[in-house]
This record gives sequence, structure tokens and C-alpha cells, in this order.
Amino acid sequence: MSRSSPHAVRIEACGCRTALGPAEATCAALCAGDRALQFRPVLGPDGGDRVPLAPLPGRSLAETAPPDWLPAVDALATEIPPGPWGTARHPVFVTSSNFGVGNLYAFQRTRQPAHLAHATPFAVVEFLRQRLGWGANVTVLSHACVSAHIGLLLASRVLAAGLADLALVFTFDFISPFVAGGFHALKILNAEMPSPYSARAAGSIGLGDGAAFAVLSRGPGGFRLSHQQVHNEMHHFTANQADGAGFRTCLAPLAEAAAGGRLWIKGHGTGTLEAGRLEAETLARLFPAAPLVSWKGSLGHTLGSCGLVELAIALAAIKSGRTPGSVGSTAPYFADTIAAESFANGGFDGVLLTSNAFGGAHAACLLRHD
Amino acid sequence: MPPASSVMIERHIHSVQLENPGTEEPDATRARLRDFFPRGSTRRMTQLGLILGRVLAELNPRPDDTLVYASTYAEGRALEDYLSSFPAASPTLFQLSIHPSAVQQVLIARQQPIGEFFPLTGHRQLVAHALQTALLAGAPRTIFCGGEERGTWLTECGVASAQTFAFAVALSAQPSGAIGTVRLVPDGGPDGALALPEFFALLLERRPCYQVIAPGLTLDLSWH
Repeated sequence: MSRSSPHAVRIEACGCRTALGPAEATCAALCAGDRALQFRPVLGPDGGDRVPLAPLPGRSLAETAPPDWLPAVDALATEIPPGPWGTARHPVFVTSSNFGVGNLYAFQRTRQPAHLAHATPFAVVEFLRQRLGWGANVTVLSHACVSAHIGLLLASRVLAAGLADLALVFTFDFISPFVAGGFHALKILNAEMPSPYSARAAGSIGLGDGAAFAVLSRGPGGFRLSHQQVHNEMHHFTANQADGAGFRTCLAPLAEAAAGGRLWIKGHGTGTLEAGRLEAETLARLFPAAPLVSWKGSLGHTLGSCGLVELAIALAAIKSGRTPGSVGSTAPYFADTIAAESFANGGFDGVLLTSNAFGGAHAACLLRHD
Repeated sequence: MPPASSVMIERHIHSVQLENPGTEEPDATRARLRDFFPRGSTRRMTQLGLILGRVLAELNPRPDDTLVYASTYAEGRALEDYLSSFPAASPTLFQLSIHPSAVQQVLIARQQPIGEFFPLTGHRQLVAHALQTALLAGAPRTIFCGGEERGTWLTECGVASAQTFAFAVALSAQPSGAIGTVRLVPDGGPDGALALPEFFALLLERRPCYQVIAPGLTLDLSWH
């Protein structure tokens, strides 16, 4: 059984930062075919194999205290509409997979106590809360690479219950040797560039920095999340059920909800083989007319932030009239719905956005617009 | 839409399961709780995974439950061991150190899918926000679970738990047969707090509670 939120929420504002810049710049660069990923040592200054990584411009994988990603967060925060964020009627939902774990890794290597002030989820969120002037009403969620989606879902639910006037969802994940070393140990972060949805001999992913926000309300019209869906297979930590049942369980209700509409799809598409095949085949069956794109072949996988980072890029794409293609992906593909090149999106009335995570976690939402 | 001041959310408590192993070491916990898990599945489980598995087993999670999980520090020991494994990072310890690994260890061992799963973290307002998440769920039954595991050198540094404990609470909208009631009342001041160990103590001692636990949120916990 999967679960969905029947409550539509309006997106009042949304923005992101990636290795290619803010949402609009990222969208334009993706449409131009730019690839942010570059081969870098997996353990930063400690060396190791060279793997595809896309940190923010100027960031290294040697974490500082305070973290060197703060300027990007500060810049992103200037795009958040002013408000009494973090008070009773204006809750904040912070989501991440890594939080300040880069500082924990740095502490373990250097024993510099300053890193400990940012090393736990609550400490780094408290640091951000004070820095950004939020009150204490900050809910913190962490569900690996579907973290941002469940933040959106919970914020929507709080709004629907009448417990808030506006909700701010804020997400961030910045790569470090901790996480790069882990994916490298799993052998999916390797010496190849990712090619999402490509049927090739070996799979690979890239990792990238990402941060994003969305302000949600119960208002009508505009850009809105009309349906949100989640499901957790709990079949294996790093594999899906082989028959694709997990993908179907999450996505079939959204196909029903979207019937009659004309969608394009921003998939999860990290570049792993089996998950990519199951995802592409399931989406092609349920949404046969919808072109499918992944942007992780350029930006890398921005981990827990990816759901909201890619929502911000999708909104920028709609506003610009052009959807970036699957940068870095090459034929043959797992399905004939894969869009390798950018395309005009004026004839579409919605976007399906999906993400997946460890444990067979699935999350998806339908973005509608007038 | 009702005005904010009228929105009170409430669920009835139908079961409370607790694990309070004190200073028991992980291997002793593994030996004590082996029978609660499928054969061979406990070898790589963390202590938090083991004790959460024990309390969740009593509630027999179902696909249509909503599961809400709260932990401030989560897998302290796995995190220590993973950090120590560099530069040859351990793939298993990487997976085990990622929030919400404890619940995933349990449900994967049981091959138990679940629809909604909200893993939360945080500190002073963690209980408030986890309870709010649980009380807003539309599922027939919501399981609110959580816990911590005691670390070693990370605890000495103040970045892992000093205690090991786990709890699971079964909640529903049905009052019949309930052993308690939990309400979140939207009033109170701009602050308020209730950390996870304090909530565990309330459950352990079956103590009622009426206090502001987050901005604008008052907890009303009563036992029948």
C-alpha cells in the first residue's frame, strides 16, 4: 500500500542552488547541455580514486568550521520571501540526508573541536535557524534521498489541517568524503560518468551539492502540488523488488490522478542500472506519452535535497518554456520515452517528479499549473 | 478552513512498548533479542536496530500503518565504526550509519513494506514535531517509535547519545480499549521543549503531562 496526500498546495516561491547556480541559471545551463560533474578525488585532500563530483563553485571536500557551504545557503535565503518563519503559524521544515556530517568527518581527521558545533543534525539546523532568523518551530526530517519529498508532504499536511498559514520547506545536502566514500565503497560512485536510463554494461552515479526551498500555502491556482505519493518497499537496503512492484505501487495512483493531462516527467535517474531500468520501464508503461528526463547526469545526485532542487529547476523550466534533456545520457535507453535533448514544454500542463532512496523508498508528486 | 485556534489534534494510545537496556553492550543485546528476528538477520544489526525491532515486533507493523520515527543521534556506534573504517570505507557501515537505518534494518529483516514513513530528527522540539506528524496521519493506525543508542568516543565528544532506549506507541482515532490519550493543543508561548529521553521517561513511568513542547504546541498526555 502506498499513501498520498489529497490536499493540493500552492507553491508561492521556490529556489535552489546547484553547482550550476540558481534555478534559472541551472535550467539554462542544462538546456545548453552543460555538465557540472568533474572527476575529483573521492576523499578530497586525502586523495583516493577520481570520481564524478559536482560541488558548488569554489567548494572543496575539506570541510571548514563553520562550513564552507554557508555563503551559498545565505545567498539562497535571500530569495525566501520575508516572514515570521519558525513561529507557530509559519513553520519551517528542514530536510537533509547529511546535515553537517562533513564536519564530523573533518573532526575525526583533525580533532579540531570547532567542527563539533556543526557535526550533528540538530546542531547544524540550530546554527542555520539562528543565522537565518527563524523561530524555534522547525521540524527536521531525514529520509535519505526522499527527504525533501517527505518535507513537502508533511508541510502540505500541516497546512491542510489549518495549523499553519504558510510553510517553508528548506533542504540542503553538501557532499563530503563521508558520503562520497560510502557510495564509492558501494561501487556505484566509480570512474565512469553517470548516464541515467542508458542500457550499458555498468552503472555509475555522480554526486553534487544542492540546496533549495519552497514556500507553500493553501491558496488556489498558480503552481501547485496536486498529489503527493510515498511508498517504502523495505525489501533491501540498496535494491528494489526485482519485479518493479515498488515503483508501480507508488506511481500507479498518480497515473490515475493525472489521466487526461499532458505531462513530462523528471525522474530520479541516478545512473544505476537496475533501478534505472525498473523506473524507466514502469514510467513508460504508466505514462506512455510523457517524455522522461533526469538531470543527475550533469548535476550529480544531490541526495536528500534532490526532490526540491529538481522541483525548483522544473519550475524554472516551465517559466522559460524549455525543459532540459537528460544531459550525459546516451542511447540505447531502457525505454523509448527518454528525452535526451531539451524540448519546448508549452503544450504540457503538468510535471511528475519522482525520487527514490535506500530501503526501497519511493516518493513522487504531481506539479500542476494553469 | 477552520480558524487556527480551533484545531486540536488527538489520538488514543492502544499500546506502549519499551526497551530500556541501561548499559547493556550491543553483543549482549543481540544475544538477548535474537529470537525476535528472522534467523541470521541480527549479525549486522545495530543496537538501536535490535531494540527498535523488539518494540516494533510487539505491534506487528502493517502496510497501511503510518510509521513515525524519532531519534536525535540515531546510530552512534555504526557512525563511529564507519568513520574509523576510512580510508577503506565500509559499505555496510555506511548504510547502517544513515538515518533512518534502525527502522529499515527491522522492516527489511521482516520484509515488511509500509506506505508512509516519516523519519524525524532534532532535539528540543523533536517530540512535538514527531507527535504532530503522527497525529496528522490519516492511516487507521499510526506507530510512533523512536530511540537512541549509547556511543563511545562520539558520546565523550557530545555528539552521540549517552543512553540506550527505544519505544513504540500504537495510536488510533478509536477510543475503545485505549490506555491513554495524546492531544496537541495549538496554544502556548513562542518556545517550549520536550526531548526524546524525557518523553521516554513519561512513557516508562506512565506519567501524565501538560506542557508547552514547541512554539504554539501544548502536549496533553493522559493515561486511563
